Amino acid sequence: MIPLKKNTTLIASIGMSAALLAGMTGGAVAEEVKKATLFGDMQKVTQDMLDHAAGDGNNFLHTNGNYAQTRYYPAQQINRENVHDLVKAWSFNTEVVETMETTPIVVNGTMYITTAFNHVHALDAATGKEKWHYKHKMGPITTYCCGPNNRGVFPYEDMVYMGTLDAKLVALNAKTGKKVWEVQIAEPELGYSETMAPTVVDGKVLIGTNGGEYGIRGFVKAFDAKTGKLLWTFHTIPENSAGVWNEYDATGRWMHRDIKAEKAAYAKNGDPYKTLGGGVWQNMAIDRDNGRVYFVVGNPSPDLYGAIRPGDNLYTDSLVAVDLETGNYICHFQYIAHDVWDLDAVSPPILTTVMDNDGNMVKGVLHGGKTGYVYVHRASDCSLIRYSEPMVSQENRWVLPTPEGARMLPGANGGVEWSPMAIDPTQNLVYAINLHQPMTYHVSEDPYPGGKLWLGGAFKVIQTEEQWGNVSAVNYNTGKIRWKVKTPQPMIGGILATAGGLVFTGEGNGRFRAYNSTSGEVMWQYQAKAGVNAPPASYNVDGTQYIVVAAGGNTQLDYKRGNEIIAFKLKGR
Amino acid sequence: MKRLITAFTTLALLGAVSLAPRAEDDPYASVRDKLQLCQTCHGEKGASTLPQYPILAGQQMYYLYVQLKDFAAGRRQDSIMTPMLQKEAKMTRDEMKLVATYFSEQKWPKTNYTVTEEQKHAAELMAGSAECTACHLGGFKGNSRVPRLGGQHEDYLLKTMLDFKYRRRTNAPFMNSLMETFDEKAIEAMAAYAASMSD
Repeated sequence: MIPLKKNTTLIASIGMSAALLAGMTGGAVAEEVKKATLFGDMQKVTQDMLDHAAGDGNNFLHTNGNYAQTRYYPAQQINRENVHDLVKAWSFNTEVVETMETTPIVVNGTMYITTAFNHVHALDAATGKEKWHYKHKMGPITTYCCGPNNRGVFPYEDMVYMGTLDAKLVALNAKTGKKVWEVQIAEPELGYSETMAPTVVDGKVLIGTNGGEYGIRGFVKAFDAKTGKLLWTFHTIPENSAGVWNEYDATGRWMHRDIKAEKAAYAKNGDPYKTLGGGVWQNMAIDRDNGRVYFVVGNPSPDLYGAIRPGDNLYTDSLVAVDLETGNYICHFQYIAHDVWDLDAVSPPILTTVMDNDGNMVKGVLHGGKTGYVYVHRASDCSLIRYSEPMVSQENRWVLPTPEGARMLPGANGGVEWSPMAIDPTQNLVYAINLHQPMTYHVSEDPYPGGKLWLGGAFKVIQTEEQWGNVSAVNYNTGKIRWKVKTPQPMIGGILATAGGLVFTGEGNGRFRAYNSTSGEVMWQYQAKAGVNAPPASYNVDGTQYIVVAAGGNTQLDYKRGNEIIAFKLKGR
Repeated sequence: MKRLITAFTTLALLGAVSLAPRAEDDPYASVRDKLQLCQTCHGEKGASTLPQYPILAGQQMYYLYVQLKDFAAGRRQDSIMTPMLQKEAKMTRDEMKLVATYFSEQKWPKTNYTVTEEQKHAAELMAGSAECTACHLGGFKGNSRVPRLGGQHEDYLLKTMLDFKYRRRTNAPFMNSLMETFDEKAIEAMAAYAASMSD
């Protein structure tokens, strides 16, 4: 049990001060407390607020909590000793009833959530009452392999930003929901689209792209936050994508590559970079000390048919760092060269201090791979320090896909899917949610179909075999699994850790649970009406801490759909 | 075939005279003859009542546009549609977009297909294995690139999936790979299941 400092927290202090002051001077002070924040002028989201988000127990400003993407929330009013008293505070039903992957963003008592098909709702975070509702006017071409998802907005100054299924970046007035500007990020007919929340820093809106299943050429772009003007583009696929012809993955396993045949194909057909995929569709971590942007790059196109794209397929399946000001390449580490299983790099990277193999504490990057391992990197050069014990079964890895289908574990959803992990830096633990989904991998020699879905084969879940999920805690300084809790269905959505010694995550069956972050003990649960497959968040209004999550199910795994945002607080508050 | 097309065209022209709004008010004026031709098989406003011809009404614009392009380019082969788009009823890209937009704006008709419990169980296993809803969405309502299947004619769905399985239709390569892995019985169950879905 980690020590809990009851009644000495920031939240408790603000709450107590509010109560005392309210008693003296009435409602005006309560309003002031409602809007209180440690940083900024309370009228807009300043860069200072965003930089200090990791210590801000009132707001939830970033998709993954802060620029380091720790998803570790500093408030501890809700903790192990009282979490059994957590009750529903309010719920809000969105107009769209479809898959929900939104992270609620909370700014000074206002919550912003998104739904499938790019609706945005602004809500009163204390009551759930709607302030405004924006519906994106969708163009005729939308692209999504895995559901019409959206993962939320990013707040900056007096605007919120959203990427859309028709590959646009939209800036909205945060107070009114009116559109301020809109730019086309890329050509949707070629398979480009947006499901990720942008990340905004120093006036730059950073956003990647979906489309790894459509033969795109991936990128991360930076746009001017005020005008939408393109500032720089980093192509995740360089014009020479061949690499070093690596035959082993990050864990040292041979991948059955036929290097001789690949080199012959490369010499004959040239570099396949123009249609090689490499989407970036999760938020990037920002190293504010060094002005670096860390992100992971997704699978090569086509997913399963490798012969058409000889080489390592740089920088697919990689952790990449670029310069924030210029977008220039700094370093990368490729987990799987020439991936033919779609076991790519998706879950957003986390920056934290880690121990290297000499016992030195260094700036590190964590990534939960679809392979089911947590990878620990040195931030300075992206090199791998260690990888964890596998969180999921590893069977028949890396058997090559065949026309008839070859069985392998993990299945193509991972491991760890896009679901963001969380850490508790006081315990050196990283928390991940996992899938155990046996699949067969089928290959087909399909040429580029001109922007249509292009897998070069198919994945199939083996329905006669049991599937399940895990919530896992891994010590990132040793690579050892601290605890693991099995769940009845494969897990997708995300996880939140708090200073209250808890982790929160939901399941496809609608169960939303709090676990003891040290032991994995289930300490509380709530049954929602639809799958809870979105990352939870937390915030504080008027001295009351809330936990909030979307229950909208999941298209990809076909979990029951819904349209509910549910906020929880302690009974009696 | 040519005689059939000529008959369709005559019908189309007659229909155009009696049904079309004034040209200056009609955004589809330039393709009214093509639309009338389509409706000969696909039914009034694309709400086909003939089980071998798919319902077009309410299918999304981009999907329909791509199919027209693919018929014209020979990427999708059909004994009626391919020659029509290549010869008798050739269209420009803009005309294709207009035709596709027209049908996308019509209301999907109610159909009354049923499914047995056994077929439903088999289809749900297939859908879970293939992750069908990832693209076709819940209720198989489709999106701009992927057709609506829910409430579509069962005969057409079965023919289409078998055409994918046996590579008679090849303009969606992923569907070839996927359907090849399922047997005909499962595909029959899926056709019945998808057809039985309604709004």
